[in-house]
Amino acid sequence: MVQGIQDFFGNHLLSAITFAPLVGALWLYLVPAGRHDSVYRGMAILWSLLTLGLSILALFAFQSESAALQLVESVDWLPQLGVKYGMAVDGVSLILVLLTTCLMPLVMIASVSVHDKLRGYLAHMLHHESAMIGTLCATDALVFYIFWELMLFPMYFLIGIWGGQRRIYATVKFVLYTVAGSVLLLAGLLYVVYQHADQTGQVTFAIADLIATKFSLNEELWLFAACAIAFGIKVPLFPFHTWLPDAHVEAPTGGSVVLAGVLLKMGLYGFYRIGFPLFPNGAMVFAPYLALLAVIGIIYGALVAWAQGDIKKLVAYSSVSHLGYCVLGFVALNTISVSGSIYQMLNHGVSTGALFLLVGVLYDRRHTRAISEYGGLASKVPVFAFLFLVFTLSSIALPLTNGFVGEFLILNGSFQVFPVLTSVAVLGVILGAVYMLTLYMKTCFGELDEKKNGDLEDVKAHELMTLIPLLVAVFVMGIYPKPIMKLYEPTLKTYISQIEERRATSIANSESAPKTVALSETKVVKGNKS
Amino acid sequence: MVTAIDFQLTAPALILTLGALLVLLAEVTVKSEKLRNGITFLSLLAAFIAPICCGKAFTTGATAFGGFIYGDSFAWLANMMITGGSLMAFVLGFRSLDTQKIQSKGEYYSLLLMSIVGALVLVTARELILLFVGLEIMSIALYTLSAFNLWSSRSSEAGLKYFLMGSMFSAIFLYGIALLYGLSGSLMIPDVANWVVTDGASAGVLLLIALGFVFVGFAFKIGLAPFHFWVPDVYQGAPTVVTAFMACVIKSAAVLVALRGMWVIFGEPTMMAQWADLLWVVAALTMTVGNLIALRQRGLKRMLAYSSISHAGYMAVALLAPGINGGAAIIFYLVAYMVMTFGAFAVVMTVAETAKEGEEGDSIERFNGLGLKYPMVGILMTIFMFSLAGLPPGFAGFLGKFYVFSAAVEANYIGLVIIGVINSAISCYYYLRVLVAMYFTKGEPAPLNMKAPAYAVMVVCAILAVFLGLFPGRLHNVGSDAIDAIKVPVGVITK
Repeated sequence: MVQGIQDFFGNHLLSAITFAPLVGALWLYLVPAGRHDSVYRGMAILWSLLTLGLSILALFAFQSESAALQLVESVDWLPQLGVKYGMAVDGVSLILVLLTTCLMPLVMIASVSVHDKLRGYLAHMLHHESAMIGTLCATDALVFYIFWELMLFPMYFLIGIWGGQRRIYATVKFVLYTVAGSVLLLAGLLYVVYQHADQTGQVTFAIADLIATKFSLNEELWLFAACAIAFGIKVPLFPFHTWLPDAHVEAPTGGSVVLAGVLLKMGLYGFYRIGFPLFPNGAMVFAPYLALLAVIGIIYGALVAWAQGDIKKLVAYSSVSHLGYCVLGFVALNTISVSGSIYQMLNHGVSTGALFLLVGVLYDRRHTRAISEYGGLASKVPVFAFLFLVFTLSSIALPLTNGFVGEFLILNGSFQVFPVLTSVAVLGVILGAVYMLTLYMKTCFGELDEKKNGDLEDVKAHELMTLIPLLVAVFVMGIYPKPIMKLYEPTLKTYISQIEERRATSIANSESAPKTVALSETKVVKGNKS
Repeated sequence: MVTAIDFQLTAPALILTLGALLVLLAEVTVKSEKLRNGITFLSLLAAFIAPICCGKAFTTGATAFGGFIYGDSFAWLANMMITGGSLMAFVLGFRSLDTQKIQSKGEYYSLLLMSIVGALVLVTARELILLFVGLEIMSIALYTLSAFNLWSSRSSEAGLKYFLMGSMFSAIFLYGIALLYGLSGSLMIPDVANWVVTDGASAGVLLLIALGFVFVGFAFKIGLAPFHFWVPDVYQGAPTVVTAFMACVIKSAAVLVALRGMWVIFGEPTMMAQWADLLWVVAALTMTVGNLIALRQRGLKRMLAYSSISHAGYMAVALLAPGINGGAAIIFYLVAYMVMTFGAFAVVMTVAETAKEGEEGDSIERFNGLGLKYPMVGILMTIFMFSLAGLPPGFAGFLGKFYVFSAAVEANYIGLVIIGVINSAISCYYYLRVLVAMYFTKGEPAPLNMKAPAYAVMVVCAILAVFLGLFPGRLHNVGSDAIDAIKVPVGVITK
C-alpha cells in the first residue's frame, strides 16, 4: 500500500502537482454552501500548500546538473493522431512551477479582502493554478495548447466577477486578445505536425520529436510569426500590450498577482518551449525585431507608467516595461542574457506581485487607487511604507535586491548581441527609478494632508503573512542567486547550444540561406567570443 | 428474398414507423396522454437499442431489401446517432409541449417519429430514389413541425418558408439524381460511383451539372452558405423543441448523407478536384457568414441558428479531406456538436419559458444574473458555451475542431484552416457574451421552472461535452470504422 503510493508519486509526481489544485477546486464546490468564509479560505490555503509541498518534492527529485527533461510521464491519449499525455520538467519549467506554487498560498491568504462569493473565487484560483502548472509541464504540443487555453477560463471569471468598474470590458478584451493569438498557434502546430509526418512517416505531437522537422526558411518565418503573435500577446509585447493595463487594473488583487506573477511569463515560456526550438532560423530573423519591440516596450511602458495617476495602472505599465527586459534578454539568446531573463521573470513575479498586494492593502482601506488621494503615509503607516520602499527598490533593481541581478545579467548579455538597442534599454532603468521613486515620494513622503488618511490602519497580520515571504525572497535572491541559477543553468547551456547547432546545420544544408540569417549569425558568434 | 437480416438492418426505421402509426391510432381512439407518451418513448428507445442488439448484422457489410439499404458500420453509426439524438429531443420536449404551445400532441409525436424514419431512410439508402424518398419523408414532416405553434405568425412563416424553399431545393436535388441516372444507367450508389470512376470523363459537363445539383441539394439541407437563408428564420420561428431537433438530428442526417453521397460518388481524386475549390469557397463562406452575423444577434435562438451555420462550415472543412481522418473528424464533430447544441437549446428553452405573453423569450437580457441565481444551470450553460466556442474546458468542442483542422492540414488546406481558426476566435465573442450576461451583468432573472426531463438533458449533454473530449479515442475509432466501411474511392488521403 505504502509502496504503491510511493510508486504513484514517483511516477506521476508532475500530474499530482498539476491536478492537486483542480481536485481542491472541485472539493471546494462539494463543501456545502453557507459556511464561514474562513473555512473555504483555510481549505484553499491547505490545497495550495499541499501543491507547494508536492512541488518541493519534485525539486528534490530533480537532478539539477542534468539538462534533460526529468520526471517524465507519458500515456497515450489520442493514439490515432499520435497525441500523448506527456509531462516532464527541465530546470526552467521547474523553477517557474515553483514560482507558481510559492505564490499561490500567498494569493489565497490575500483573498481576505474578497467578501463576495469567496468560494467561487478560490475555486477559480485553484483551477487557474492547475492550468498554469500543466502548461509548464506539458511536453506534448496539444497538451500544452489545451492547458494554455485552459488558463483563460478561470481568469475570465476572476476578472469578470470579482473585478472593478470596467471589468466586463477588460475581461472580454483579455480573452479575445489571447484567443485570437492562440488559434493561429494551433494552425501552426498542426502544420508542423504534418510536415513532420511527411518527412518521417510518424504522426506525433511530442515537442521533442517535432524539433527535428526541417522547414524552408520561408515556412519558418510564417510559423514563427504565428508563434510570436500568440506568445507576444501573452507577454505582452508592444504593440499587443493594450489588454494588460485594463486586465490588471480591473482584476481583483489576487488576480493581478497571478497575472503579473505567473501568467505573463507563459508568453516567454512559450517562446522558450516552442517558438525558438522549433523554428530556430525563423527566430533568428525575427530576433532583432522582437528585441526592438521589447525595447520600445521598455521605454514606452516606463513613460506611460510615469504619467499615470492610478497606482495600479502605474504598476501595470511597469510590468510592460519589465517584461520588455525579459524578452530582450531571451531573444539575445546567449547564456548570460537568457539566464538573466529567466531570473528577471522570477523577480518580476516577486516584486510586482508584492506591489500589487500593497496596492490592494491601500485599496481595501480607502477604496481608491488615485495617487493624489495619498501622501505622507510614511508617518501614519510606517510598516507599510517600509515594505513599499523595499519592493520599490527591488522593482528599480537596486543592487542587493533581486531585480539588480536579473537586469544586470540581461543588459550585460544582450549588449553583446544588440549593442544599440541595449544602450537604449538602459534608459529604461533610469526611467524605472524615476516613476517608481516619484510614486513613492508622492504617496509616502510629504505632509499627511488628506484627512481620510488620518485613521489609516497599518499592515495587518494576514497581510504581513503574504508580504514577509516576498520580502525575504527579495533579499535572498538579490544577495545569493547561485542556488536558483544552478537549477536551470545546465538546462540553458544545452538549450542554447542545441539551437545554435541546429541553425548551423540547417544553414550548411541550404546554400541559399538569405543574408539576414547569416548576419545575425555572425553577430551572435562574435558576441559569445567577447 | 426477404430474410431476417433485412429486418435487423432496418429495425429502427421499422419500429419507428410502427410507433408513428400507433400514436396516430391512439390519438383518434383512446386519447390518453400516458399511452401516447408511452408509445413514443418506447418506440424511440427500442429504435435506439435495436442497432446495439443487431450490431452483429452490421459488421458483415450486408445490404438489406435487395441492396436498397446499406447495412455497414456507417449505417450502424448513423442509426445510433439519429435515434440517440431523437431520444434526447423527445425527453427535452416531454412535459414542455404545453409551454411550447404545441397543442395536438398526437400529431406532433407521430410527425416527429415520421421525420426520424425519413432521416433513417435517408442516411442508410443505397439507391438514389429511396434516398430522395427518405429526404422527402423527413422534410415534409418537418415543414409541418416548424409551423406547429398555431398562435405564432413566426412559426407559420417558418413552416411556409421552409416548405417553399425546401421543395425547390428538393426538385433541384431530384434533377441531379435524374441526370446521374441518365448518364450512368443506374440508381444504385455503388454502381453510379463505379461509373463515375470508369466512364465519368466521357459525360463531360453533364456530370458536372449533376454534381452541382446534388451538391446544392445537400448544401441546402445542411445549411451551407449561400443556401443558408432559411436557417435563422425557421430556427427562430419553430417551437424550441423542434428547433433543437432540427439543429441536431436533422442536420446530422444531412451531413452524414452528404458525406457518404458526395464522397462515394464524387470522391475519386480527379473528380474531387472538380469540386474541391467550390467546397473550399462554400466552407469559408459558411464559417464566416455564420459567425459574423451571429455577432449581431440579441435573441439566443437566432444566435444559435447562425452558430449552427458556422459549425456546418467547420464540418465542410473536413469534407474536403476524404479519408479516414477527415471522416472520423466529421463524425466526432457531429456528435460533439449535437451534444453541445442540444444542451444549449435545453437551457434556452427553460429560460424562454419564463417569458410572459408578448415577451421575447430568448433575448439575451433574460440571462442577466442567471448564473449567480441558478449556479447549476449557469455551470452547465458555461460548459456548452465554451464547448461551442471550442475552448477547454468544453473539451468536446475543442477536440472536434482539433480533429477537423488537423484533417484539413493533413490534406494541405492550410489557408482554409487559418480562416477556420480565425472564425473560431471570432465566435468566442458571442458565445462568451452569454456568460457575460449570466455572470457579470446585474439582473433579477425570472424564476425558472426547472423540469426534470430538460434538466436531465442538460446534465447528460454537459457530462458528454466534457468526457467525450477527455476520452475521445473510442468515438474516434467507431467513426474511423464507419468511414472505412463506406469505401471512399480515394481510400487513403491524397495531397
